[in-house]
Amino acid sequence: MRSITGDFVAKLATICHRLTLPEEDCETLADMLLPMDEAGERVAKHLEFDMEPADFDAAMEDLAPRRTFE
Amino acid sequence: MSDEIAFLDACETAARIASKDVSAVEVTETAIRRAEALQPSLNAFISLEADAALEAAAAVDREIASGNDTGSLAGVPLAHKDMYYREGKVTTCGSKIRADFVADRTSTALAKLDEAGAIYLGGLNMSEFAVGPIGNNVHYGDCRNPWNTDHAPGGSSSGSGATVAARIVYGALGSDTGGSIRIPSGMSGVVGFKPTQNRVSRYGLMPLSFSFDCGGPLTRTVRDAARIMDLIAGHDPKDKTSSRLPVEAYEAACGASVEGLRIGIPSTYYYDDMNPDVEALVEAAQQVLADSGAILVEADVPDHEDMNLIWASALASEAASIHRKWLVERPQDYGDMVRRRIEFGLYQPATRYIEALTMRDTFLRDYCATAFRDCDVLLVPTMPITAPRLADVDVGGSEDMPAVVLRISKNTRPISYLGLPALSVPCGFTSSGLPTAFQLIGRPFDEATLCKVGHAYQQATTWHSCVPDIAQ
Repeated sequence: MRSITGDFVAKLATICHRLTLPEEDCETLADMLLPMDEAGERVAKHLEFDMEPADFDAAMEDLAPRRTFE
Repeated sequence: MSDEIAFLDACETAARIASKDVSAVEVTETAIRRAEALQPSLNAFISLEADAALEAAAAVDREIASGNDTGSLAGVPLAHKDMYYREGKVTTCGSKIRADFVADRTSTALAKLDEAGAIYLGGLNMSEFAVGPIGNNVHYGDCRNPWNTDHAPGGSSSGSGATVAARIVYGALGSDTGGSIRIPSGMSGVVGFKPTQNRVSRYGLMPLSFSFDCGGPLTRTVRDAARIMDLIAGHDPKDKTSSRLPVEAYEAACGASVEGLRIGIPSTYYYDDMNPDVEALVEAAQQVLADSGAILVEADVPDHEDMNLIWASALASEAASIHRKWLVERPQDYGDMVRRRIEFGLYQPATRYIEALTMRDTFLRDYCATAFRDCDVLLVPTMPITAPRLADVDVGGSEDMPAVVLRISKNTRPISYLGLPALSVPCGFTSSGLPTAFQLIGRPFDEATLCKVGHAYQQATTWHSCVPDIAQ
């Protein structure tokens, strides 16, 4: 069974955003969301308890060429 | 005077003005004349500030006549994607919704170019709210590719690529969230520089996605791009996210030897599913650099599929949070493609968004450890295809839209997710007469190496000197 459907998007639109979308739009949005949700599920398996988005900024500086600190 | 001055690059033009070989007013008059003459064909400007530009040029000439120090771009006309705020001026962001928006501040990037004496010619056409790699715009009309006006100029910095390619201005700022500098520069045959994330201040730049937006230049040469980067890169107290890491001298890096420098050619992903003409031209560019002393090595890259998808998810989440009020109150005022690409961010769980950002660290470390294990930079096609016909890709918000977007931005999106610097350099023309480009990708904050390699390539080739017929 598909995890994200047009009906699901329609409900979210109405409940969370007070929007009423045409049925066709909801189906297209569901098609766009599905692969991203599946990728998110795969990626989430690699998350550790104490990771956070700010780690990225530290990684950028860690990986910069050392000469930039001279 | 003739338009001869219009065909020089920014550095050479600045030198001619500084030496009083030509005046800033003459150069600016030429740029204005060309902008007006080409506007019906290219539709590259949203606003042209001719009077203010001429006043600024006259002021530069007075400074030079007085023997005062002027900046490194004194008297050189530039124009910028119409999303860089200038206090008191309308900044449309290519949208109907912000058609009358008057900025209350001047972006730091514009202020730095002003300080260097650059002449501001106006705001350039762009994809609505910087969304879309095609460069079309339902509100201001489509910008056109100077090499063939039936074809897309590339987006979202469409006017930036078109005006530089058509020798109207000597450089233009664009913004890049998933390819929006590199794609139009590649499609229009000019240089495009996406800096490392947070290397250039975003203060006064319309936001699309806080985590991925980067400002940067489109120019005729790598050296011109390096000169602009020398001016705009660095920490800005007005943008707390801008990096405090020291800035290297980018223009000075141009001219350094590439002897022994290792250029990685990825064996997977970037060279898959390519137009054969594009493939041949990019391979020829590899050989040019090898002949200049660089060493070509094979590079492994991690799988990109999940990275691309979670980039799109995070971008849409941020864009939807910025646009939610208008998506609810004024959905009819968006173009269909743009609204569709932003609104799906409304339907993603917050956890998915945070996961996508949290995993950036892991993906970046893995990418750098793998892709740069045996090389200093990567060389890949900027795009696997050339500029498509506008009529073929103007699919609105239909079910075909995601495939069109994904194909054009295939090689640029992952680099935006990783926050890495990338320099797009033109490398020839296909049998259909459309430009092709390669993209140099560096380690975080290693813009200087990209300048070195890109400049070495342009010293050995003449593609950057080619001018579209429409601009002759």
